[in-house]
Amino acid sequence: MRKLISLALLSLSLAFAQSGTLEIAVDQSPVGLDPHIVTAFSSFAVIGQIYDGLLEVNADLQLEPALATEWTVSDDGLTYTFTLRDGVSFHNGRTMTAADVVYSYERIMAEDTGSPQASRFAAVASAEAIDDTTVVFTLSSPYAPFLSNLTNLSVVPKEVVEAEGNLQQVAVGTGPFMLKEVVPDTYVLLEANPNYYRDGEPGVAELKYNVVPEASTRAAGLRTGTYHLLPDVDPATAETLKTTPNIDLLTTQDLAYTLLGVNTTRAPFNTPEAREALNYAINREEIVEAVYFGNAVPGGPLSPGLVDWAIPTSSYACYNYDPDKAAQMLADAGYNGEEIEIITFGTLKVVSDLSQVLQAQLQDAGINATVSIEEFGTFVQRWRNSDFDAFVSLNGGSTDPDGYFYRTFSTGGSTNVYQFSNPAVDLLLNDGQTTTDQQARKAIYDEVQQQLACKGPVAHIAYGTLFTGISDKVQNFQQLPTRGLRYLRNVTLE
Amino acid sequence: MTTFIFRRLFDLLFVLFGVSLLIFLMLRMIPGDAVEIMLGANTDITPERVEALRRQLGLDLPLFQQYASWFTGVLRGDLGQSVWTGRPVSAEILGRLPVTLEITLLALTFALLCSFPLGVLAARARGTSGDTVVRILSIIGLTLPSFWVGVLLLYFFSLRFPTWPAIGYVPFSTDPAGNLMRMVLPVIAVSLPMIAGLTRILRSSLLEVLALDYVRTAKAKGLAQRVVLYKHALRNAMIPVITIIGVQMGYLLSGVVVIEQVFAIPGLGRLVIGAINERNYPLVQGVILVVTALFVVVNLLVDLAYALIDPRVEYA
Repeated sequence: MRKLISLALLSLSLAFAQSGTLEIAVDQSPVGLDPHIVTAFSSFAVIGQIYDGLLEVNADLQLEPALATEWTVSDDGLTYTFTLRDGVSFHNGRTMTAADVVYSYERIMAEDTGSPQASRFAAVASAEAIDDTTVVFTLSSPYAPFLSNLTNLSVVPKEVVEAEGNLQQVAVGTGPFMLKEVVPDTYVLLEANPNYYRDGEPGVAELKYNVVPEASTRAAGLRTGTYHLLPDVDPATAETLKTTPNIDLLTTQDLAYTLLGVNTTRAPFNTPEAREALNYAINREEIVEAVYFGNAVPGGPLSPGLVDWAIPTSSYACYNYDPDKAAQMLADAGYNGEEIEIITFGTLKVVSDLSQVLQAQLQDAGINATVSIEEFGTFVQRWRNSDFDAFVSLNGGSTDPDGYFYRTFSTGGSTNVYQFSNPAVDLLLNDGQTTTDQQARKAIYDEVQQQLACKGPVAHIAYGTLFTGISDKVQNFQQLPTRGLRYLRNVTLE
Repeated sequence: MTTFIFRRLFDLLFVLFGVSLLIFLMLRMIPGDAVEIMLGANTDITPERVEALRRQLGLDLPLFQQYASWFTGVLRGDLGQSVWTGRPVSAEILGRLPVTLEITLLALTFALLCSFPLGVLAARARGTSGDTVVRILSIIGLTLPSFWVGVLLLYFFSLRFPTWPAIGYVPFSTDPAGNLMRMVLPVIAVSLPMIAGLTRILRSSLLEVLALDYVRTAKAKGLAQRVVLYKHALRNAMIPVITIIGVQMGYLLSGVVVIEQVFAIPGLGRLVIGAINERNYPLVQGVILVVTALFVVVNLLVDLAYALIDPRVEYA
């Protein structure tokens, strides 16, 4: 009898724990839900609740077990053996096995899928399911970022992909929440997965992503209690929310950064000296005040949030603002005030404001720049085709330095729109991928940062503070510098 | 009368053809196509794959061929498919049209209910302080942009009446009260400029009519002031008002676009903004066609209303 009562109490407490609808306000509808195809942040915010990878990144940017409970790496760094969690099932009830991990990897690599994640697994020679709970990945050469890239390998069920063609409109994963309803431009509703493998999670019964395009409307909704959580609040709105009772404003160092990129095949920035001069012409402190209202820190090629990797900006000489020196260096490099065009876009206030401030600062160093604010699609096209003298933008960051550096700065890299080519940097970047010793890797990327900070094709400007606004009804929410919302599974509502 | 209606509907075909050609060409003049936007910053995909996607969407064909195949589809009643969701464009539009129409019609009704008493009051009380107040208010109403009024209303309501559901949309069929409560602020914001415009027109038009000989005759033969005003003068003053209503309907449909953004309402406006940003050609073309058709039909109704109000107007 006592046992029965305690069982009843237990089920009661479980039912109680999983109650309420967490109302989130986001600015955009997800653009499709296929975890192997989409690139939009609005999609990942939802997908992250539905699918799991083998590993996940925690708030300190360290890797933690997810679907894999443990893993071993062979001494030559070529063979990775993962033990999968027992008794994990997909939302359709079928048990997840090693074969699903192999299938998901193969689907990403298949040409027909057109997955943007394929290049992350280019070093993998084969993936094999040894038994139901053991997967072995064999690499063709040592590749240090492999483990951190595995956080992106969402495990999907083959039968659903085959029945539906792709996973853009349906979603069946192993994650804490299951897709319940999508109403375009209105909301996406998820419900708690009763069979989720972490006991006692998720903490709420439903998760609702309300699509609210206007920042001021989202803020008003948080004030009135219509919404509980705004994942990404712009600095201006954050100022107004700071003083609002019953609302907490969480902050963390964003991995995303603003940048001024230049085309290294066009004068004047086709020489390392001119690019160094450009850095001297930029007053980053002033930008932090004028553009970010003080809610940012000047940064180099890596976010100060990556405490294991980033070196302090004090080690970059060119970060000492000196417009006269910049003007002199540019004159020596043969620049005579020819007009250069900075392209940018208008949908992000931080970016368009920054381009104006930069234009004025460059003027003080004798650089004659015009700013063209392009429609976003046009901007992307010109960016992609390297059709620019210079551009101002905001980029999301990666947790492993290779994730940003290799594709961006190696000769012929997939996002090397700057057409930057430096054999010494290429060598370092290759070493960085194949070196698995942490200390040796750190030394390599310290050198890469030194090489890129002043003379690279990108003047890194600042890393903003990431604001998340939550109602005081929300308990246990943890903010991630990656802007990910993985820890919504811990959240409970009062 | 019937021939007139048919002739006008026949004209509609030409209008639609012209508009469709124009929007088709304008869309393709914006740089970047759906495939490029879809890929975003993702440069890992091979050029062959990009070409395959283009072929799949028919974007590799010459322009006139693309237009011809789309337009013949339209003539058969097939507006094509949304590039991103694969759903028929007609289904996407039908899902959103009722929302926008609801705001538009509610705003129109509200504007008429407000502007008639105000306009009549101002005309009757010409030169008095009441008239001045109405005239000043109407100038203010005309100059306030509706999105700004919307944001202000939202801010005010969220502070004063935090429990009032002001944001978002629920269908009338699932929650009538919730639907109407959420409509209040957007409808006020959208209709303010219209109330102001209609009040001014009604006032001046009424003043003009009241100065005419037949009104003096009506007064002279001893008709009550009320009868003269409402039965004789107002009816004749309606003609310009009706014209303005027809034009305003078009502005309403476009003004609603901004209000939908502010109040997070999933109407036609948000559909078309999203579609333009995504270069979702068939969807943009479909929405513009439907809105154009609506506009033309409303103007036809306005022309028919003239005949209703003024027996001297006849269509043959």
